[in-house]
Amino acid sequence: MSRSLYPLASLSQIRQTPSRADGIPASLESAILANACKLIHTAGILLHQKQVAVATAQILFHRFWFVSSLKSFSVADIAFGALYLGSKLEECPLRVRDLVNVYHVLLQRAKGKVGTEIGIMSYFGNTFYELKDALVVAEMQILKRLGFNTHVVLPYGSLVSYLRLLGQDRPNVVAKAWGYLNDALQSPVYALYQVPTIVSAAILLTSRFLAIRLPDAWWKLFDAEWEDVWSVCGYIMRLYHPEIDKKVVERMLTKGDVRTWLEENPRAVDVAQEENAIHN
Amino acid sequence: MSAGNLTPSRKRSKWNDEGDDAAEDFQSHPRSKRRVKARLVPRPSPSPSIAIAHPTRPSHCVYVPPRTQHPSILPSRSVYCYERLNQIEEGSYGVVFRARDKQTGDIVALKKLKLDEEKNGFPITALREVNALMACHHENVVRVREVVVGDTLTQVFVVMDFIEHDLKSLLTLMPAPFLQSEIKTLMLQLLSAVDHCHSNWILHRDLKTSNLLMNNRGTIKVADFGLARRYGDPVGVGGMTQLVVTLWYRAPEILLGAMSYSTAVDLWSVGCIFAELLLKEPLFQAKSEMELLSMIFKLLGPPTHNSWPEYFSLPLAKTINLPSPQPPQFRQKFQYLTSAGLDLLMSLLFYDPERRITASEALDHPYFKESPLPKHPDLFGSFPSAAAGEKKQKLFNSPSAPVRAADNKFSM
Repeated sequence: MSRSLYPLASLSQIRQTPSRADGIPASLESAILANACKLIHTAGILLHQKQVAVATAQILFHRFWFVSSLKSFSVADIAFGALYLGSKLEECPLRVRDLVNVYHVLLQRAKGKVGTEIGIMSYFGNTFYELKDALVVAEMQILKRLGFNTHVVLPYGSLVSYLRLLGQDRPNVVAKAWGYLNDALQSPVYALYQVPTIVSAAILLTSRFLAIRLPDAWWKLFDAEWEDVWSVCGYIMRLYHPEIDKKVVERMLTKGDVRTWLEENPRAVDVAQEENAIHN
Repeated sequence: MSAGNLTPSRKRSKWNDEGDDAAEDFQSHPRSKRRVKARLVPRPSPSPSIAIAHPTRPSHCVYVPPRTQHPSILPSRSVYCYERLNQIEEGSYGVVFRARDKQTGDIVALKKLKLDEEKNGFPITALREVNALMACHHENVVRVREVVVGDTLTQVFVVMDFIEHDLKSLLTLMPAPFLQSEIKTLMLQLLSAVDHCHSNWILHRDLKTSNLLMNNRGTIKVADFGLARRYGDPVGVGGMTQLVVTLWYRAPEILLGAMSYSTAVDLWSVGCIFAELLLKEPLFQAKSEMELLSMIFKLLGPPTHNSWPEYFSLPLAKTINLPSPQPPQFRQKFQYLTSAGLDLLMSLLFYDPERRITASEALDHPYFKESPLPKHPDLFGSFPSAAAGEKKQKLFNSPSAPVRAADNKFSM
C-alpha cells in the first residue's frame, strides 16, 4: 500500500513548468526532454545497463523538470546524473569512469562527429574530471530538487497482469504494449499520471494497432479514466510526429545552448509568454 | 493481536494532528496514507459520505489511490528551517542533533550525513537508508519527516521524529529488567515493524537494542536503516555482502559465509533482542566471529543434519570443528520463562534460516496470548532522556539518624 504513492506533478506544476515560465515554448521543452531521454536510453545500451535502471532514470529526469528550468540546469548533465542515480537506486551501480566515457562519446556524436573523429579522452585529463564533477553535481541536484523522494513505480508488472486479465497475453501483444511503455518514457506522462492509466493507454494503442477487440470500457477495470488514458495516448503519439526539427534539438544539450536559442528567437519567447498568460 | 491494538496513544494524539493534516501539503505520507486505507476499504454498501467524496468512482482498488493522494514533486527545504538545540550522538555515519522546527515548534532529530570525500557521488548506502525509511511508514519505524539541505551540496540532513531513549542505554540504566508484560508489548511492536519492512521488500540488517528507540509512552521505533537494502525473491545475482549486522546480533548463516540470505537474518537479531530484554544484558557478548559461533553452538547445541541440512554446504563450515553433540541450554539460561516464551525464543534462534519463524508467524505466537497479557503502552513508566540532556533526579537521601542521639546512646 505504502509503495503505491509516488510523487506526481501538481496542477500548478503542470500548468506552468519552470522552463515555460522562463519563456521556453512548450513544444521546444518537450522536444529537448525527449531527446535527452533518448540519450539516457542510448547510454544504457552502451553500458549494458538494465532497463529498470534506465526507466527509473528517465522517470526521475522528467520529474526534475517540473521543479527546475532548462535555463538553469544543463539538460545533458541532468540526464546522465539521472542515469547514475537510477543505477544506484536499482542496485546496479555504474562505475563513474564508464559513465563518463559514454557521456563523452555521446557529446561528441551530438556535435556531429562520427567514428574516428571522436577523440579518445585522456585517462587523467581535464575533460574526465570536468565531466565527472558535472555528473556528481547533477546527481546531487536531482536529489535536492526532488526532496530526496526517489520512489519510482515501474509499469511492466502491471502491464503483464492486465493483459493476462484481458486474455491478451500473446507475446506479440505484450511486446507491442511493452514498447509503447518504453517509448512513453520519453514523454512526461510518468510524472503526470498514475501507472494504471499509462498502462491502459499502452494497451489501448496496442489494441488499435493490432486490431484487437477488447470488452467495453475495459479501462475502468484498472481504475483509469477515459480522458486520462486518451491524453496519455496523445503524449505517446506526439513522440512519433515531432513538431521541432530533430537537428535543432540534438544540439541543445546545455543551459548555454538554451540561452543562446532564447536570445536568437525573441519572437518565440513572446509567443510562449502569451501562451502562458492564456493558460493562467 | 497486533501492535496496533496496543498503541492507542497515537489515536489520542491523532486529535491534535487531524487539523494539521489539511495544512500539511502531502508532506506527511504516513498519515494521509493511513487515511486512504481507511477510506478505501471496500464495503458492501457504500455509505452516502463515501459516495459524496468520490461521485465518479465509488469503488476504487485499494492499490490505486485517487490521483490527489499522490504527493507532489517538492524540492528539499533548507536546514535553516530548523534551530539547532544540542548534539545527541556522533557515529561513523554522521552526527545527530536535536533541533526545533521554527514554524511548528516541533522537536526533531537532525541526522547529518557524512558526504565529504565521496568519490562516487551520493553514497549508495545513504540512498538506501533514506529510501528505506521513506518506504517503511509504520507506527514502530522512526518517521522521516523530510530531507533538508544546507548551503553546499555536501550538507544533507535527514529530519526524523525525536525519540527520547534508545533501548540499549535504557536497559543499562534501568534498575530492574522489564516485566514479562512489558517485554511482550515491546516484542509485538518490534515484530510488527520487522514484518512491515519485510512485506515492503526491505531488509534492515542491523537490528540491535541501540537501534531501537523508545519514547516515554511505551512505544519503540526501529531506527538506523544505514545497512538496510531492498531484496528480491530470489536474491539477485551477485548476492549480498556478508559485512552486515553488528556481531552480537549476526545470524549463523552470515557468519558461515552464505552467499544469499534473506529475511531470516533479521529474525535472528530479533531473537537476540528478545533474550537481551529478558536477561537485561546482550545474549552473545562475543569478541570475535569464532567466539560467537562457539557461544551459539553452546546455547543451541551444534547444528546437525536434522536441525540445519544446508550447514555442511556453507562456504566456511569446513573450516570449523564442531563440538561434540550436546542438548540446547535454553532452559538453564532462561529459567523463569514460560514454555511458550521459550518456544518463541527457540523458533527465533533457530539454525535453519528456511525454517526459522517469520515475523508474521511470530506475531501470532501463543506467548503473546497467555498470561500475563501484553501491557498497555500508556502504562509504561517514563525515564529521564539522556538525548534531550535530562538527568535523573537525585533521590532524596533518607535522613541519617540523629548523631547526637546515637552518641548519647553509645555513651549510655
